[in-house]
Amino acid sequence: MIEVHDLHKTFKAKAGPVHAVRGVGFEARDGEITGLLGPNGAGKTTTLRMLYTLMSPDTGSVRVDGLDAHRDAAAVRRNLGVLPDARGVYKRLTARENVAYFGRLHGMDEATIAARIDELARTLGMEDFLDRRTEGFSQGQRTKTAIARALVHSPRNVILDEPTNGLDVMTTRGLRGFLQELRAQGHCVIFSSHIMQEVAALCDRIVIIAQGEVRANGTPDELRAQSGEDNLEDAFVELIGSEEGLSA
Amino acid sequence: MSLLNNTLFTVARKELLDLFRDRRTVMLGLLMGPILFPLLILGMGSMVEKRTRTQLESTLELPVIGAQHAPNLVSHLGTRNIKAIEPPADPEHALRQQLHDVVLRIPPEFPELWRESRMATVEILYDSSRQDSRIPVGRVRQALGAYGNQVGALRLISRGISPEATKAVLVAQRDVATPESKRGMLLAFLPYLLILSSFLGGAYLVIDVTAGERERQSLEPLLATPAKRSTIMSGKILAACLFGMLSLALIVIAFQLSFMFAPRSMQLVAVSSTMMLQVLLVLLPMVVIGSTLLTLISASVKSVKEAQSYMSILMLLPIIPTVVLLVNPVKDELWQFSVPFLAQNQMLLKLLRSEWIEPMEWLVYFGAGFGLALVLWLMAARLYHREKLAISA
Repeated sequence: MIEVHDLHKTFKAKAGPVHAVRGVGFEARDGEITGLLGPNGAGKTTTLRMLYTLMSPDTGSVRVDGLDAHRDAAAVRRNLGVLPDARGVYKRLTARENVAYFGRLHGMDEATIAARIDELARTLGMEDFLDRRTEGFSQGQRTKTAIARALVHSPRNVILDEPTNGLDVMTTRGLRGFLQELRAQGHCVIFSSHIMQEVAALCDRIVIIAQGEVRANGTPDELRAQSGEDNLEDAFVELIGSEEGLSA
Repeated sequence: MSLLNNTLFTVARKELLDLFRDRRTVMLGLLMGPILFPLLILGMGSMVEKRTRTQLESTLELPVIGAQHAPNLVSHLGTRNIKAIEPPADPEHALRQQLHDVVLRIPPEFPELWRESRMATVEILYDSSRQDSRIPVGRVRQALGAYGNQVGALRLISRGISPEATKAVLVAQRDVATPESKRGMLLAFLPYLLILSSFLGGAYLVIDVTAGERERQSLEPLLATPAKRSTIMSGKILAACLFGMLSLALIVIAFQLSFMFAPRSMQLVAVSSTMMLQVLLVLLPMVVIGSTLLTLISASVKSVKEAQSYMSILMLLPIIPTVVLLVNPVKDELWQFSVPFLAQNQMLLKLLRSEWIEPMEWLVYFGAGFGLALVLWLMAARLYHREKLAISA
């Protein structure tokens, strides 16, 4: 369970301060997939970075399973599995070694790590490249490695920043199935995307962000009702105020 | 506490594994120094030695202007293995063109002055800015001096005066330099090489694990784990220090072996294993200082390229004490053991000259060295906690 309350974040830039996130707030419940939808540059990544404690908000608060993300950052990180926007893997290590390294950093013992890697490899379909060095991996193989790395410690809450970026149709379908499995197991899943269809196909709850603000927040049905449009796509355009979010 | 230690060693182990899989980089990093440095020192040493020996022992061909004015002098030079030859037309030009090292001029009034037992002048022409002319000029000067003394003594005896009467004081010289310390002078270069390798030996590794990891976008997920940032950083520094010490150990072993097998005249220092271990011990603080400083730099810059551009300045730092000591030699004093680079230089010179290092000097040395490393570590840890560090691109 992740509760986000009125986040603000400003960056200093040459041209003057950029107010990237201005009052984002929502709630992501256990056993649900929450989608953060918005055009490029809407403030999704910055918002997520504040969720996984890499940035601290100027004002506002984030609570993960009741713990304050700013005060109990270490405890919060233990309960989070994060696939950041940056998903570099160590190219001279095998996929297994990459994942195991993060398992050790989470303080897991070797036996648990090995068992968990086998489990993740089966679910994500990584068996045939698990023991290869990640140099020369395809985008999909790299993303799978990064996801396995993020989830090695079986976190209660999962945050994925644009997980389907650069993946082909088959891999995307596989990933979708995987997220649904996580939901069925009772995890709290948040993922961001700028692709409307993807969010619509997966999410129990959608938070629409544009220009650093929440434009709408609710189930797909609620969004349709709120915008007065029958079609989800028209509802998004109405709520975002542009057609940017439709590029698929 | 056990988690903290686990994280430290987990990070260090991963960084070393990652590095050692990069075979070519490791080979270059570990083997270049041990192969090149002994060659450099021994090669230079043997060149100097060979040159000196030829210059001292071979027949010196000396252009003499006006040789006909002083046949006795010329034949005396002949007994000293100095052969008079025809002078060039323009001696000063010839010297500048390095056609000759030294030229002797005997003026026309020499025979007259000589007969009247008055002081006769001869001139040695040479270019003092040329290192190479030092030995030939010395030989000529010595031969002329000996001739002057000999003739002077004969003149005194012919007048019934003991030649000793004009020598009120006889100066006897005793050099107290130990053989090791004399050879140590030949080795002024060695401390610089050792300090430079310890300071920057692991540089590419250090820059790679912070600035490089950031560029490759794997730092953000790493910092999103519950592991403490300062511990992650320490693990990376530890890996760099271990690698640095390994490459230094190889360099030191290479020196020991090459000194052992080198010809007798080239055995510049007595190399015992104890001394080599002490050398490594002396270099340890420098390795820690170098790794921490580079981590600090890597955490503050935007890219690997920017971090690398600091290298040319850093490479000059270890030269400074050597240059300062060259221009302004100072006596050993305790404060010197607290100044980075100068301290390492002094400690290494002492070891190479087989001199005793006081416990107090060791204490000040390690106190100052690790103290500086700690300050750098604290500054680097601050930078590691900055929000900007994790955010790549």
